[in-house]
Amino acid sequence: MEWKISDSGEIFSVDLNEREGVVTISSMSIDGQEGEVPEIRISKAEEKSRISVEINGNPKFAHVTKVGDRWWMHIDGEIYTVDELEKGGKSSDKAQGGLSAPMPGTILEVMVREGQRVREGQPLMTMEAMKMEHRILAPKPGEVVCINFNQGDRVDMGAVLVELGD
Amino acid sequence: MIPEWMKGASTPFSSVLVANRGEIAVRIIKAVQEAGLRAIAVYSNPDKGALHTELADHTIHLPGDSLSENYLNSDAIIQAAKLSGAQAIHPGYGFLSERADFARAVERAGIIWIGPSPEAIETMGDKISARSRMIESGVPVIPGDEIAIPDDSDHLGILASVAARVGYPLLLKASAGGGGKGMRIVREPKMLRTEYEAAAREASAAFGDGTVYVERLLTGARHIEIQILADKLGNCIHLNERDCSLQRRHQKVIEEAPSSVVSEDLRRSMGESAVLAAKSVNYVGAGTVELLLSANGEFYFLEMNTRLQVEHPITEMITGIDLVQKQLEIASGLPIGIRQESIGISGHSIEARIYAEDAKRGFLPSIGKLAVWRPPSGPGIRFDSGVKEGDEVTVNFDPMLAKLIVHAPSRMAAIRRMDLALSSFIALGVTTNIGFLRNALTHPAFTSGSITTDFLDNTPISEFHSEGSEPSVLVAIAAASKRLGVDRSGGGLSQVFTDDHTGHAGDPFRTLSRSFP
Repeated sequence: MEWKISDSGEIFSVDLNEREGVVTISSMSIDGQEGEVPEIRISKAEEKSRISVEINGNPKFAHVTKVGDRWWMHIDGEIYTVDELEKGGKSSDKAQGGLSAPMPGTILEVMVREGQRVREGQPLMTMEAMKMEHRILAPKPGEVVCINFNQGDRVDMGAVLVELGD
Repeated sequence: MIPEWMKGASTPFSSVLVANRGEIAVRIIKAVQEAGLRAIAVYSNPDKGALHTELADHTIHLPGDSLSENYLNSDAIIQAAKLSGAQAIHPGYGFLSERADFARAVERAGIIWIGPSPEAIETMGDKISARSRMIESGVPVIPGDEIAIPDDSDHLGILASVAARVGYPLLLKASAGGGGKGMRIVREPKMLRTEYEAAAREASAAFGDGTVYVERLLTGARHIEIQILADKLGNCIHLNERDCSLQRRHQKVIEEAPSSVVSEDLRRSMGESAVLAAKSVNYVGAGTVELLLSANGEFYFLEMNTRLQVEHPITEMITGIDLVQKQLEIASGLPIGIRQESIGISGHSIEARIYAEDAKRGFLPSIGKLAVWRPPSGPGIRFDSGVKEGDEVTVNFDPMLAKLIVHAPSRMAAIRRMDLALSSFIALGVTTNIGFLRNALTHPAFTSGSITTDFLDNTPISEFHSEGSEPSVLVAIAAASKRLGVDRSGGGLSQVFTDDHTGHAGDPFRTLSRSFP
């Protein structure tokens, strides 16, 4: 089992100790390198989704819940997500050159054609979701290898809309 | 049954159909029930089981998958009112609230319309007629050259020549738009076509009218709006200002009342202009006159919203007046019953809009299940929500989930109270703007009260970043939670949303822990 802070690239692995319902960390590695082990004691609280977290001897409460492979947590007034990965698993947003739909919606306009060269920041498609329009922009200069949807198509979140080559 | 307070009114009613959804439907249904009237809700397929349907005394299903078949379908809503025996219709905001033809159809069906006359909606709803009416009435208007662009095949030539006369940067607005939809900034001529087409499409998707309008963009201004109340007997008062300068792409994010830059004299002068504007269209009900306050202290009429505003609660908090209750009283023909001199300002109130959106990804709307949804509560905290724990957030509707409102003796105390309230808001399962709201609220430009409407758009997102916990701690928590089986107890089972702070006595809007539900 490996872990990744959502929106960051580092992959963590953790070894745990559990004694009388209290979990501590025995070792932690970041991208395969041995990392500093946080001084932390974690146990379940009475209430659903609530846990007790003691960091460097300071006790606090956190709320944690799992949705799909993502752990959502609220601690110290902030909300975070941590993704659970299969060992050696690749993160989904590393798909090379593919531009995926940031949310489900409808394609309003396709502004480029296959084989066309585009510059960085050039609008490729417009889609509508939540009654607002969003432009899909080229993240780098390159050639449009493949356009997977036409105007009017409904797309799911994560669907690869356009593939860009170098 | 006609409630006691409505006895003697010229047009009494005992039931109200709320032609809306989400938090505002919940807010209005509660007020209707509190007033001793029957509340009737309507809902479309995706809203089956939604909070507003749970609270209403009676619900009517509106079939069809698109908004034009349900929430935007005048005929279906009037039919629902007749079917349920509703004697009045409250439109809320958005949807049909500013559609004169709907107001007219409601009245023609013999149902009381809780809002201004169709003529007032028409005059104010059309930016050109509103502008000329303001000029006639002596209300200052934004400098520039405004012309309507007919939405036909030959629009670009006319648009380009008008744009050249108005000058760049300019603002393209859908005549029928609102709430940031159908509104686009054009900084240079070559972007005109793209932005126009986007504005026209957005406007027709959300409001069913593709007409667009051009206006000079004033930079470095503040958005100040005046709440007004007018009754059928010709009385009209204002309830002070709201400062809504913290906006992102013309979408309000945080609002406060009173404004930190409006002096007693300026307030009186803005208030008088707002009353003048309302009287020029024989306005009836609750309305808002939006003004732009420029850096040199001059103010200009922006538009009048002929309906209840999203941010109306902050006015309720500082004045102690329940605006929805007042709308009901006015619709029944009763006088406002409050004199201008008796409207005061008590403390300071701030509202933060909780959106399902990801600030780190260009504010893209986010979706998912509200696996854990625990809004803050306590003295001085009000929470108006349309969702409950376990609800699915989808792309069907606007991404605003709820509004968090605080009231405190002073502006700084209100900021601190809001910051603390946001920090204890536990919303897991759907990415929200809660963290961003905290960072915007505590940004020195906001706390010093010096922001203008372009602040969010011109400030790099990195300035709204907080340090946060160590990644290693977060990973440790996730791994330990897995070991402890925290996911097994949750597993997405929805909990009954309970509210443990009802039952306060006294004026409900001074009762600081009021929340919906």
